[in-house]
Amino acid sequence: MSQNNDPFNPFDPTGMFKGVRDSGMDAWSKMMIQFVNTDAYARSTAVLLDTWLAGSAQFRKALEAAMTQALTGLNMPTRPDVTRLAERLTHIELRLDDLEAKLDEGLRAARRAAGPRARTPKGSDPS
Amino acid sequence: MTKPEVSTPRAAELCEELRKVAEKARTFNRLLTTDAKVAQTPKEVIWTLNKAKLYRYVPVKPETERHKLPLLLVFAIMNRPHVLDLRPGHSFVEYMLHRGHDVYLLDWGAPGPEDKDLRFDDYTLEYLPRAVRKVKSVSGSDGFNMLGWCLGALISTLYASLRPDDGLRNLVLLTAPLDFTDKTAGGFIRWTSDQAFSADRIVAAFGNVPGEMIDYGAKALKPVENFVRNYINLWDNIDNPKVVEAWHAMNTWVRDIIPMAGGAYRQLINEFYKENRLMQGTLVIRGERVDLGRLRAPVLNVIAEADHITPPCQSEGVMERIRSTDKEVFRVKGGHIGIMAGSGAEKTTWPHIEQWLAARTD
Repeated sequence: MSQNNDPFNPFDPTGMFKGVRDSGMDAWSKMMIQFVNTDAYARSTAVLLDTWLAGSAQFRKALEAAMTQALTGLNMPTRPDVTRLAERLTHIELRLDDLEAKLDEGLRAARRAAGPRARTPKGSDPS
Repeated sequence: MTKPEVSTPRAAELCEELRKVAEKARTFNRLLTTDAKVAQTPKEVIWTLNKAKLYRYVPVKPETERHKLPLLLVFAIMNRPHVLDLRPGHSFVEYMLHRGHDVYLLDWGAPGPEDKDLRFDDYTLEYLPRAVRKVKSVSGSDGFNMLGWCLGALISTLYASLRPDDGLRNLVLLTAPLDFTDKTAGGFIRWTSDQAFSADRIVAAFGNVPGEMIDYGAKALKPVENFVRNYINLWDNIDNPKVVEAWHAMNTWVRDIIPMAGGAYRQLINEFYKENRLMQGTLVIRGERVDLGRLRAPVLNVIAEADHITPPCQSEGVMERIRSTDKEVFRVKGGHIGIMAGSGAEKTTWPHIEQWLAARTD
């Protein structure tokens, strides 16, 4: 690592960089923060992003259609097929969680009715 | 006439200098391209739903020395929650466990294409209540404390307002983006408030918003700090193992980006950032209007004074609206992540949160 009190060393690129950096980094940082917080920057990035999204939409659509056609031709599930399957699994998980909650509630009610000696110790999952 | 003395490096010194630079470059490259071991505190999965997982950290204190109320940590939906358990010796989770808290963490997971329609409605009223039920069931407690960070704090606030009787005893909000009245406060709100910025088009194009896009947006708020100074600081301190270890762990977390569910992104931009519905009192979640006045649990609102992602004004305004009689704003010097994961967190933010909760937990 270069030392600040070292004489100028032409073979230490980090030392040269450090000197430049130390003199201007804070000012550069402040300037950039101010720049990205301007309405002009906000407008230009929004327009750029929007233009890119609009421009690439047709390409994405065509690619998706071609991929769906190819997968269907090969008798393979397409992206929407897999997505639908995953959604169904999540719904099943939700139902299972509902059942578990009901079972849990029932067990707790039964324990309460049985009295304090039958209660589950803290830290263990009764379900 | 004598010749002025010119100090020229000898060949051996030059070689040594070059060798050191090469060694530093190798270490630098390794740190940039490898992952540090993060989130190492022992835990077990006690509940899952879709991509979400609920963890319970293995308590380190005997039951008699533990606080009665469990603590549920709710992190943001567009980052991994490992930052709460960054590395051994510098982990909020570890800190709380050693002070007798029974800690649970809700990890939302990375949404897949099938989750592109997930909204805050789902996170708040489908996932979170189920996770809360499980926390109560496993801990054997009817009440619980909750700590939400960033969008996790937003979800926690919605939940606390919609389900005030679910057993929530204390709520800690960290850098919570809730009030979007000031459209000039910070880069995010400026960018997304522009007429040309369309969250609908982004979601239509991608489904889920790519993690790279969110990561770039967050870094672009402070471009020189994030794209230049971050690496220069590492280079300068590469011989300091403590700094290197901390940097590596943080960089591992920063690099581990995940997409954000398209529906939630659209809602965040349109209903929160642009229309400020939560503060206007017009936000409707699954048919229920969110009334902050129904939030009655004690609230600790932790604000980062130099937060460029959630400027302080986005967190402060909510305190007037909530009905809790026991509420406190705690301002910490630092940035969005730094107040909880920075080197000073263990001396400022963590003890304050712990003491605040401990005083209200037993």
